[in-house]
Amino acid sequence: MTAQLIFAGLLMLTLAVFSWTVLTYVYRFSLTGPYKITHWGKRIGIMLRVAIGQSRIFRRPVIGFFHALTFWGFCVITLGSLEMVVDGLTGSERSFAGLGVIYDVITSSGDVFALIVLFSIIIFLIRRLFLNIKRFQGVEMKEKSHIDALIALSMIFLLMVSLLGYNVSTVLSSPVSIAGTYPVSSFLASLFSSSPPHQLTSSPPHLPGFFWWSHITLIFIFANILPYSKHFHVFLSIPNVLLSRLEPLGKAETMENVMKEVKAMLYPDQAEAPTGEPARFGFLDAGDVTWKNYLDSLTCTQCGRCTDVCPANKTGKLLSPRKLMIDLRERMKEMAADKIKNGKNHVDGKNYLGDYITSEEIWACTLCNACARECPVNINQPSLILDMRRYLVMEKSAAPAAINMMFSNIENNGAPWQYGSHDRLNWTAGLDFPVPVMADLKTQGKKPEYLLWIGCAGAFDDRYQKVARAMVKLLNHLKIDYAVLGTEETCTGDPARRAGNEMLYLMQAFTLIETFKTYEVSKIITLCPHCFNTFLNEYPDLGYSAEIEHYTSFLDRHFKLARSDVKSGAFKNDKIVFHDPCYLGRANDVYQAPRSLLGTVDSSKAEMDHHKSFSLCCGAGGSQYFKEAEKGTGEVFAARTAEAVACGATVIASSCPFCLTMLTDGVKYLNKESEIRNLDVAEIISMEIGL
Amino acid sequence: MKILVCMSVVPDTTTQIRFKPDMNSLETSGIQWIINPWDELALTRALEIREQPDSGVTQVSVIHIGLKDADPVIQKALAVGADSAYRVNVAAAGAMEVACQLSEVVKKEHFDLVIAGHDSADYNGSAVGEMLAELLDWISFSSICSLAAAKDSITIEREMDTRTETIIAHPPCVITIQKGIAKDPRIPSLRGIMGARSKPLLQLEPIPCAGSAAFVKFENPAQRSKCRMIDPAKPEELVELLRNEANV
Repeated sequence: MTAQLIFAGLLMLTLAVFSWTVLTYVYRFSLTGPYKITHWGKRIGIMLRVAIGQSRIFRRPVIGFFHALTFWGFCVITLGSLEMVVDGLTGSERSFAGLGVIYDVITSSGDVFALIVLFSIIIFLIRRLFLNIKRFQGVEMKEKSHIDALIALSMIFLLMVSLLGYNVSTVLSSPVSIAGTYPVSSFLASLFSSSPPHQLTSSPPHLPGFFWWSHITLIFIFANILPYSKHFHVFLSIPNVLLSRLEPLGKAETMENVMKEVKAMLYPDQAEAPTGEPARFGFLDAGDVTWKNYLDSLTCTQCGRCTDVCPANKTGKLLSPRKLMIDLRERMKEMAADKIKNGKNHVDGKNYLGDYITSEEIWACTLCNACARECPVNINQPSLILDMRRYLVMEKSAAPAAINMMFSNIENNGAPWQYGSHDRLNWTAGLDFPVPVMADLKTQGKKPEYLLWIGCAGAFDDRYQKVARAMVKLLNHLKIDYAVLGTEETCTGDPARRAGNEMLYLMQAFTLIETFKTYEVSKIITLCPHCFNTFLNEYPDLGYSAEIEHYTSFLDRHFKLARSDVKSGAFKNDKIVFHDPCYLGRANDVYQAPRSLLGTVDSSKAEMDHHKSFSLCCGAGGSQYFKEAEKGTGEVFAARTAEAVACGATVIASSCPFCLTMLTDGVKYLNKESEIRNLDVAEIISMEIGL
Repeated sequence: MKILVCMSVVPDTTTQIRFKPDMNSLETSGIQWIINPWDELALTRALEIREQPDSGVTQVSVIHIGLKDADPVIQKALAVGADSAYRVNVAAAGAMEVACQLSEVVKKEHFDLVIAGHDSADYNGSAVGEMLAELLDWISFSSICSLAAAKDSITIEREMDTRTETIIAHPPCVITIQKGIAKDPRIPSLRGIMGARSKPLLQLEPIPCAGSAAFVKFENPAQRSKCRMIDPAKPEELVELLRNEANV
């Protein structure tokens, strides 16, 4: 009875401290903004795959395997811990023993996993203490992070030792009548059985009790330490994955308040006039973020997989996606403490953006989404970066000068560069057939099946004009019924949007949607993956949906149908490597179509170290193309090109105008111009079939 | 000190310039209008100066001489930070009329410093600033590449081919600016655009001005002849062409 009372007291104390912690976090969450959660069925599937199945963890298979074992072990062992709580409160032993065979499964798996987890934890400790793992370093990794990790690992170590100790000592003390099955502990007990006879039949009677109390006390302490440590993910990883962002990585959220303003500007007669002063555009401080962003920051266990794959971080720039999470958690703690002390409306004069995160970090991001793709608990870092850019641009007009220039160009002449729309068909010069234009066909009463979207690069960039020409030659070859918009094309708004100018994006998008509607465009083939992503994922929010295909998917589909086997042998001595553009691959999961197309080319092939969803950005994404790269120790385009060089390629194939430019620069930078050619997939196919 | 920035509204610099069939006026259909780039830099510098606490600048306004269709462009000047705007509602016939209308507003509204761009990107007249100073009987400085203000004086720099002049002047005066006055033009933030809606944009009626001029005729420059490639192995062909066709 005394033991029960002590246990109940201990449990009450644990729950009291835990409740206080929960209240603290509830207050912090109350300071954040809304985030809508829908599609629960889909969410449960993601949770089962990513959280329970540990799918993302396995992207690093070896260490991921040990983590997965630890996670699954925790799930099983938690059932045993629950039983211990019931035992402690009721004064009984092995309360769940009545479950029969199920109990045997629970106890035996718990016993086996205790050893597995113990083994994994020893590996983790060795990695932390003795191996110099790069991703455990970084400016954001303060002493607290390292101590947090060691405390958590040591506690789990002790938890497993005490659990096994309890099982072994129980087996030893009552080898016959014990409920449940304990394969590991029985084996360990049998080792002790070979000891002198006086120790054979039972362990000292106080040992099971000692281990039981040690284990349950450690659990209570551990549960109350976790919310204050970086290991909060033990509690939060499953809910965070359940509540993950469901949209494709390439999709940016449409800002409703900006949309209202833009509609009022464009359609003053129809739109509902915005009333009152709208709240802050974008994120400045911890109070501006959504509750999901904050949950992300609490769930982050600082494993550093995000930072490890970040192209900006890899090349020595200030940005570290992990730092965004650590700093958000810290800033919220500081801000909430100030508000508790001085009242909810008090402003302490500090901000997340500015005092924790610098604009240099924000502008170093290529929005390649490698971090978000890598995070084992589905944290989305790029959306936070985009929202801070939105603040800088739409509240402060504080973008880098070159980005401002790009905005002005899009606003004034509908392209990110200073070219007028009257020159948008210049790329067709030199073709020996006419390129059909929508407006001309409309006057003839015709409506083509496809709109071929040339994009600003195809229209104005000398190099990409060649790709546009290769593309129309292929369409002619395939006898596709298509047309281009010609001088009516204008920027989709994507470069402005990725640089934080949601207003300009929306103005471009609404204008363009009007044009699409005029011509009843229902199928679009795009040259540029960024335009592809915008039409596919972002325009539907504005009321325009169509069948959107990147040209690689389109050509792959049609060449399969056409069964074209003409080969010119233009590449038979080449080794072709394909670079995955971020907004085709990672953002929209198109990996196979360009590879399948290139598969028809008579040449040898290679893959870079990082390919498909692991691909490394070319350095142009997130509007980096339009500005100078932030300061670092290397260049992203050079790092990516070096991977292509390392795999012995003689042709770097890409399917994005920006990747093509960056990788061409990379080849020049590495003095490999005589050995490596940069070509677009459309050009390669066109050359291969002799067009 | 109250600053007035003169603002032309000109076709976007990528515009393909076309004239109406009678060749005496610009074909304006399809043109995207922007703030004259020089004036945009003038405004940027004026706003930078106003933000300095000891500059003594209390107000930065913009003025445009033109019709109502220029209002959206004038709104942009308000959105980047100008306090107020004036538009004299007349399609001015030439630089003299623009200067005349400007002078009336400058006098009435008691501005101390008038800044104008070196020229406007449409007709490139380079005349309004100096004409305005004459009409006001103020001192004027042209081709300014640096401007600072301190209570009742301004310090300006003029970059010439062989020297840089530094001048301290006491307003009222008119200055026209050139390259170097400000690094990059400001662009409006969405918050600025929203704020601009509540800023005053006053439409003023024109005064009668003498000495107006009218354009008689525009001509497009002759098309450049096509580039001819010469085989590098035949330099004599180049010599032949230079001698007989280019008359060198």
